[in-house]
Amino acid sequence: MSSRARQKQAARVVREQMARERRRRRTTWISVAAIAVLLIAGLIGFAVWRSDGSTGYATPAGITDDGGTDSGIVAAGSGPVTVEVYLDFLCPACKQFEAEANPVLDQLVAENRIRLVWHPLGFLDRLSSPPGYSTQAAAAAGCAADEGKLKAFGDALFARQPAEGGPGLSDDEIIEIGGEVGLITPSFAQCVRDGTYRGWVDHVTNEAARRGVTATPTVFVDGVQVNPTGAEIAAAVASR
Amino acid sequence: MSEVRPSYGAELLARIRTLRIRTLLQPPGRYWLATVARLVLGGVFIAAGAVKVGDLSASGRAVAAYRLLPFDVAMFVGTVQPFVEIALGVLLVLGLGTRLAAVISGLMLIAFTIGIVSAWIRGLRIDCGCFSRGGDLAAGERTQYLSATIRDIALLFAAGFLALFPRSRLSLDDKLLDGGRT
Repeated sequence: MSSRARQKQAARVVREQMARERRRRRTTWISVAAIAVLLIAGLIGFAVWRSDGSTGYATPAGITDDGGTDSGIVAAGSGPVTVEVYLDFLCPACKQFEAEANPVLDQLVAENRIRLVWHPLGFLDRLSSPPGYSTQAAAAAGCAADEGKLKAFGDALFARQPAEGGPGLSDDEIIEIGGEVGLITPSFAQCVRDGTYRGWVDHVTNEAARRGVTATPTVFVDGVQVNPTGAEIAAAVASR
Repeated sequence: MSEVRPSYGAELLARIRTLRIRTLLQPPGRYWLATVARLVLGGVFIAAGAVKVGDLSASGRAVAAYRLLPFDVAMFVGTVQPFVEIALGVLLVLGLGTRLAAVISGLMLIAFTIGIVSAWIRGLRIDCGCFSRGGDLAAGERTQYLSATIRDIALLFAAGFLALFPRSRLSLDDKLLDGGRT
């Protein structure tokens, strides 16, 4: 091999080495960039999580909130025993529970034995299409609470409950249902349209999940879970 | 004493089949297969993250519904996860840092599969929250554990393939490292 050919070969070896080195460096930089993208995404999520405090939402009148798991709203009564009902306005079992237990609950309220506390939830948001009827209806219940008509409005919502998997009700239909129970002020209509209490519903739903409530209706009498029937609630109240 | 001959069609089919497997597992077929794996895996991650990013506390409750993590930890995981899913999906679709992205998505898929199988074994009745807000099922709903597990394992194969053979066509890695010559 001539010395010239040898030189050429040596130069090629060096070039190849440099190319390999360059490739390795670039691989490192690409990995660093990819990790940076993932970290930034994680940090955005972390920032959202931090900012999602318990103060950033409007609350309706009559809430029992102490900032913790006590996240309900008084539906009726001011008696010594607290009956808490976790409900979802899209849940058929809740509608049945309402129909079955209402006479008992009304009587207990009339006798001033209980304070009835509702926790309106957005559990079944994914079961309407578009999703979100549960939260929409629960937020509207907050609007009704501002006007002191939560129980009557909630009962009316259950009476007109839309089917699971369907489109739910429009804001206009919900406002019309409010009109049936005497909610005729413009502020109620505005509150429903604005979804003023959506953030509050989100909070109530989170606190329900934190408490381990996994289904609706779920009933507690003075903090003790009981089966959601009028008879069992009456028995539990009587034993307090 | 009839001679059994495979029909012309069957012979052709067999030839195509062997040809296809061989061409897919060697370059350049393998590079295209990796491109498909990247786009499918990345697309699934973007879709899964995008559905959840609109309602982050529902995403947190979906994680909490597995009852594997303390509630507040689950809420944190559920809030951060959609953002990471979208970022991973974008990396995979662009083909940037493919091996790294494939390894991380593979680890996430393993975690998801463990979660689903454990919910299944414990008899929980939850929506997996894979592509929806998730959470506990309503009275009439049926669990979908089998299909979710099969889907996750299939995606895990795609992630494993990309971790082993990250070079692919139409990727930023290719443009940046090999000047588009892959």
